Amino acid sequence: MKFGWLEGRFTFLLLAVAAFGLPLLDDSYAGVIATRACIYWILISGLNLVVGYAGQIAIGWVALLTLGAYTTAVLTAGTVTPEVQPYIALVASAAMGAVFGMVVGLPALRLRTFYFAMTTLGFATIVTQIALAWKEVTGGGIGTPGPVFPFPFAPGWGFYYFCLILAALCTWMTANIAASRFGRALIAIRDAEVAAEASGVSKPALLMTVFVLSGALAGVAGGLFSSLQSYITPDAFNFDLSILFFIAILIGGRGSILGPLLGTILLTVLPEIAAPLVAWSTFLYAALLLLIVLLIPGGIADLLDYRNRRPLQQHRAIVPRPELLPALLDRPTGGALELADIALAFGGVHAIDGLSLDFHSGEVHGLIGPNGSGKTTTLNVISGYYHPQSGTARLNGAALPFGAPHKRASFRIARTFQTPRLVGGASVIENVMLGGTIDGQGSFAESLLTLPRHRRDERMLRQRALQALTIVGLETLAGVRADRLQHSELRFMEIARALTLRPAFLMLDEPAAGLSAEEIRRLGELIKAISRTGTGVLLVEHHADLIFDICDRVTVLNLGKILAAGTPAEIRSHREVVSAYLGA
Amino acid sequence: MLASIVSYGLAVGAVYALIGITYNVMFAASRAFSFTAGMLGMLGGVLGALFIDRLGMPVIVGLFLVLACGAVLGVITEIVAVRPVLKSIEQHLYVLSTLAFALLIAQFTAIQWGTDASPFPRLIPIGEGLLDQKFWIPMLSCAVTVLGLEFLYRRTLIGRAFLAIAEDSYAARALGLPEVRLRLASFALAGVIGSLAGFAGGEMLLAFFGNQSILNFYGFVPVALGGMGNNRGALVAGLLLGLFQQAANFLVGGIFASVAVFVVFIVVLLLRPEGFAGASGARRV
Amino acid sequence: MSVTRRQVLAGSAAGAASLASGLASPAIAANEPLRIGFLPALTGPSSSTGVGMNRGTELAVKEINDAGGINGRKIELIVRDTQSDATKAVNAIAELTHRQKVHVVWGPLNSGETLAATPLCARDGIPMIHPCWVDTLIDVKKYPMSFRNAPTNMQIGHAANHYVLDVLKAKKVAVIGDNQGYATATVAAYVPLLKEKGATIAYQGNVDSANPDLKPELLRMREAGAEAIMPWSVNAGFLARICNARGQMKWDVPIVGQTTLGSGQTQALLEKPEYWEKVYSNNFKKVCYAGDGKLPAAAADFRARLAKEKIDMGDTLLWWIACGYDAPKLIAQTIKDAGDSPAAITGYWNKLKGWPGIYATMNFTPEQHNGVPDDEVVMCQSNSLKDGAFNLAPGYGA
Repeated sequence: MKFGWLEGRFTFLLLAVAAFGLPLLDDSYAGVIATRACIYWILISGLNLVVGYAGQIAIGWVALLTLGAYTTAVLTAGTVTPEVQPYIALVASAAMGAVFGMVVGLPALRLRTFYFAMTTLGFATIVTQIALAWKEVTGGGIGTPGPVFPFPFAPGWGFYYFCLILAALCTWMTANIAASRFGRALIAIRDAEVAAEASGVSKPALLMTVFVLSGALAGVAGGLFSSLQSYITPDAFNFDLSILFFIAILIGGRGSILGPLLGTILLTVLPEIAAPLVAWSTFLYAALLLLIVLLIPGGIADLLDYRNRRPLQQHRAIVPRPELLPALLDRPTGGALELADIALAFGGVHAIDGLSLDFHSGEVHGLIGPNGSGKTTTLNVISGYYHPQSGTARLNGAALPFGAPHKRASFRIARTFQTPRLVGGASVIENVMLGGTIDGQGSFAESLLTLPRHRRDERMLRQRALQALTIVGLETLAGVRADRLQHSELRFMEIARALTLRPAFLMLDEPAAGLSAEEIRRLGELIKAISRTGTGVLLVEHHADLIFDICDRVTVLNLGKILAAGTPAEIRSHREVVSAYLGA
Repeated sequence: MLASIVSYGLAVGAVYALIGITYNVMFAASRAFSFTAGMLGMLGGVLGALFIDRLGMPVIVGLFLVLACGAVLGVITEIVAVRPVLKSIEQHLYVLSTLAFALLIAQFTAIQWGTDASPFPRLIPIGEGLLDQKFWIPMLSCAVTVLGLEFLYRRTLIGRAFLAIAEDSYAARALGLPEVRLRLASFALAGVIGSLAGFAGGEMLLAFFGNQSILNFYGFVPVALGGMGNNRGALVAGLLLGLFQQAANFLVGGIFASVAVFVVFIVVLLLRPEGFAGASGARRV
Repeated sequence: MSVTRRQVLAGSAAGAASLASGLASPAIAANEPLRIGFLPALTGPSSSTGVGMNRGTELAVKEINDAGGINGRKIELIVRDTQSDATKAVNAIAELTHRQKVHVVWGPLNSGETLAATPLCARDGIPMIHPCWVDTLIDVKKYPMSFRNAPTNMQIGHAANHYVLDVLKAKKVAVIGDNQGYATATVAAYVPLLKEKGATIAYQGNVDSANPDLKPELLRMREAGAEAIMPWSVNAGFLARICNARGQMKWDVPIVGQTTLGSGQTQALLEKPEYWEKVYSNNFKKVCYAGDGKLPAAAADFRARLAKEKIDMGDTLLWWIACGYDAPKLIAQTIKDAGDSPAAITGYWNKLKGWPGIYATMNFTPEQHNGVPDDEVVMCQSNSLKDGAFNLAPGYGA
């Protein structure tokens, strides 16, 4: 089974051969267009991580191209500084792009999607305005000449090879990121932010890193652009260019490297072939974008994804293998998670009202109660989504701070969700590997360059995820895109994701909902086996049979308060509970 | 001079507020922001000039046709660019589909109508000066729209149905409200308001395809600052924006005026992501 | 002689270029067409100049080909619409010089594109001629094969400043532009010129072109005692707003500035026709109505031909069409007299003296590639627009 790094290697190889052989055609015009495609790709490859992977709608990325272009051009022209070597100026452009990538990206942490899109548009306007106004440096409306790179990358084919090598490097680096735990976390932020947080992904830190990388690449692209254009004026950096970058990614398909690369080539070359249509080019881009969004939201990448169009076997049965659990959950555990006097109100409504609850390693603790009794709210308090007004939480005796859901994974607290939070565009195994994110040792930079620690992380995560998938019985579906799974399979996939964290405490929110009787029985065995490895399980469920079959202790909630607590046998005979819920 | 800044500021601000309300009406019905708001405003101006100036129709007929076109475009927006992507609203595909649709219409206008500003007809053949019609027509349109919406939402059954959809579309559907038809009606209403904005501001902003991007951005500022879905907030924020922008134009000059508006926009949003009047905190889990 | 040296230099540059692209110098077929690469902006923003010039260029090429071409060779005009986008212009230049192998490049027609195109043509050793105003575009050392068949920004500035200071006798001047590239650069360049000539700058500013209200700016100018307003912008809406604001204020200060002040688009945006009074835009002596209300003979004859060919003049300016017409005519004459190699064309142009264009008399020397003589750059009376041409402004010896 092959998945992960750089899907469609054959196509890449073909493109690389064609690109390196292009000068044989002896057509300098083709060379200019190909150089342009390479430069755009250097920018788009970085933007792809922002738009295609992290799902941030950054429309005005031309602002960073402008910045990079002016930085290189101004430094090499020597208008404000001593004349700088073009290659060094290019590095300065990268640094400038990195800084402003962070500035442009910053609002993404606080603002909603559409708001963020607007701010990027605003940045694009502002940068152009400043380029116009700051005459002493940028030359204002007259502009400034771009640099000529000296040998060996002099204008013509030399410069083309320079851009091509950089473009190839960008492809390699962004593909490395895409196939790393960082890439999986980015897609998770896009498709299932809550699941990403629960797996320990810190959205601000990761997004900022990606914005910095993407800004740096845009800066480099800008420097090269200024040389290709030979002369830059603020008018050259128009909105159409921004739209081109953005649409190339969406036409290519989100969460893919090959797709946006093909999109970039398509959008750079198409207007040259269809010269009579030049007036309609933006119109056609817009039409293309609309069609893609409505008909094939997955873009070119989706069309090329043959593997996921192969029909899956019908009537699949999930057969967990709890006996393999000890191999995965082999860490010594012990201890308890205790809540004391938790109170949480939304507006005037008391969702939880003085709740005290504890669950211990090695046992299954059931939490039942009618809708609105505070079961899921309790889970959300433990996993940090809600900050109660009063009460304390302790983990193995030490205080567990409220809030900060992305820090829960480091306490080895894992959970599943009432509605499965799947990363639909990623494969099942990638979804599951997400669960182990915090155990990766390598840094972002190490992943960028596939250094040994990154490779070790990947091997470890993949092996652990495969173990978890085998345990829940989904290993045959590892390479399948998660959104093709049946509902019951998603429930087991979420458990596998939680297991990949090797949790000390596992919280399951209605894992049996929507499962068949046979599946519920197997699920029960699995949950019980998990607890017997020493993991504490908190199980929120409506299926009374399951609760009474596998729980060691049961707590019954009503209106945010505990109605009863005890062994299943005690609860089963508790008069109020019986009359209210068990209908017996 | 002050009088000039104030009268223009309020008039332009009224246009921005109307575009902001256009965003809001569409948002309330679908939970989706649509890039088509600025496009509607631009078309209000262009179609007004087309019907009245080029085709020689009477002002009233022209106005009616412009608003009708706006309504039709609103409905098309809903069918083409919003409804198909509502199922997966958390993926924000609506940002892309409405952007694409707005670009499509704007580019078509650019090619068919031209990219230079064209004159917009004088609507009423009377007076000029600081109380010129180009100032009070946008302000009046804005006032009528806001009052009309208040009346619609608070006093009529269909308006309450709109509110119910905006509040909780699942519950509204459970109550048997025809959600799809109400959403269509909302988009038609947004189309009318958006094109009215462009029509009323036409004498100031001219029939110019470039108004689309200007109105898209400056029309969104009142939404962001006034709190989304809050029409009164949009009205106040829109008028303030107009005044601020004209004052900045005058005090710091054209190039830095747009920088100033943008900086204020960013800073306010970063400090108060829900705007001045918005409620915070949506349930995530 | 410097001419010969330059020819040699140019020739070797061309040789190097063809070597670089791996091309053996082709033997010129006797009836191979002469290819002129033309780069107007025909669609998109600021395309009105391109549309106007394109009419002239097409007419000239048609006339030449109908008359049998040049020494039996037809002219092939290869047009690429750049949409005023420098990126498209760069791609188009590469296509024209490398793939189409044109003999001469005519255009681009907007400065932003030409700034990018000029070094590329220089690198490839293709002669180019363009009508863009930015001064730095012509540099005989850096770009020995680049020529301009239009005035420079400085020439236009001098003509306008001369008119304001010497003819209208204004002492305090307000200079205003929008916030686009051309306008910011021009305002910055003209203010020192005015000061040099002894004028007082009452106001200097660049205003957002989308700003619907320019009245505060004009009030400021009036308070500062401005005796003339000099607007520099290619945006008809912006220019019309200045005229309208002046009219509403009932301020009869003269407006002297960019050629677009006299365009039909500006006219259409005026609130009242009388707001166009005392508005003077730059133009060219050979295509303006003289004191007797008549065009100079060549221009009158040209306009008759345009009318016969049913070429529309109502929505454009005569000087645009004439300038577009002159360029291929000059190229044809050059190739006919000197041959089609880059060195021959450049050499011929370097010695061009008194070539009688319809739009302007062209003169080049090896040191001076700006073709239009100072005295042919004039101001005209905007509200006299008739069939694309204007009356000379009062004071030009009319």
